[in-house]
Amino acid sequence: MQPVTVAIADPDPGIQTEFEHSLQGAQGIKVLTNVASSEGDVVNNRRLKPRTSISPIEDAVARVRRLNPRVLLASLNQCIDADCAMLETLRRECPETLVVLLADETVREEQVMQALASGARGCLSRESAQYDLSKAVHVVERGEAWVPRRLLGKIMDEVRHWCHESSAEVSLGSAC
Amino acid sequence: MVLLASSSEETLARWKRGVSDFPSTHCLTGLELLKSELVRLKPGILLIDLDFPGLEAPAGLADLMNLSPKTRIVILSPALSDEAEWSLFKAGVRGCCPRDIEPKQLKSVVMAVQQGELWIRRTLTCRLLDELGVIVREKNQIKQATSNLLANLTQREHEIARLVGNGESNKQIAQHLSITERTVKAHLTEIFRKLDVADRLKLSLIVNGSIGAHEQM
Repeated sequence: MQPVTVAIADPDPGIQTEFEHSLQGAQGIKVLTNVASSEGDVVNNRRLKPRTSISPIEDAVARVRRLNPRVLLASLNQCIDADCAMLETLRRECPETLVVLLADETVREEQVMQALASGARGCLSRESAQYDLSKAVHVVERGEAWVPRRLLGKIMDEVRHWCHESSAEVSLGSAC
Repeated sequence: MVLLASSSEETLARWKRGVSDFPSTHCLTGLELLKSELVRLKPGILLIDLDFPGLEAPAGLADLMNLSPKTRIVILSPALSDEAEWSLFKAGVRGCCPRDIEPKQLKSVVMAVQQGELWIRRTLTCRLLDELGVIVREKNQIKQATSNLLANLTQREHEIARLVGNGESNKQIAQHLSITERTVKAHLTEIFRKLDVADRLKLSLIVNGSIGAHEQM
């Protein structure tokens, strides 16, 4: 069975090391490289020149497309709009690559929900990543999501609320 | 308090072993008794057999939820298709599990649901995220569309639209902006024409859907 290919998209070397450490020795997983390297990628001894003439999102997407990982690991930051823009672009341009996010305690639940709505398929805390990251990778790879149950509850509330609002609007339209 | 509802004594006995750490009571016979128990006890959790006589889930769940809105419902059933289980969650249940679930796991389900978690199988989680994605994109499209509409207004018209959105009358708006009521009405006529709306209620809905609390004009 082919291992699940995993790429890491984080410019912070500390976080990259954290991800790699959590996946060290994990069965069935092959870590490719750091997609967010600012000095270019080294893949199979080929150095890819850094592309400076395009936006950071386009650059990151191009790297992901070249590496074609099955799972992309990235940390979720306070700059949620930028992260969501990246996730939306990846969802459109690289639909076969599934994104799992690592969120620290400063990131709010609403921000995590925003990121999940933008296309991430999993999210875990930095604390739980050391135990659960490889499991999350396998779960997401087979088409499921890795999201805390409590957050699933909130997401379902949002879905039901919107469906209820939409039904009410239709009724109002009909009544008019 | 956990309320158990099933027409099978054997099933109830099994479930009771799982919830022995919680105050619980059970209901063997029909829907009317269940409804009166729901109203009387207002349990935190209702564990109910999908085949409970008269339930007719998912449609029938709405009645139970209306009787006790804070009660979280967990359905126990034989294996269901993804579609069938999804329809239960859309109807408002907080968990679905096998009818013959092990008592120890049932305890985990009850504890999780009590804490606000959703007990849903992983194969449905992506569907949930997909629906969330659709909703957020729709909301953003609406927001963009209303922003585009409002962009057609002049600055004065924008001010007046915002004040209408705050619930102010023409007289209040006139005083606020130091203009006459007649001028306010003239502006509103133009605003209604540009936005293709017929009244201030619809204008308010547009304004309040588009302008966030943090935005300044």
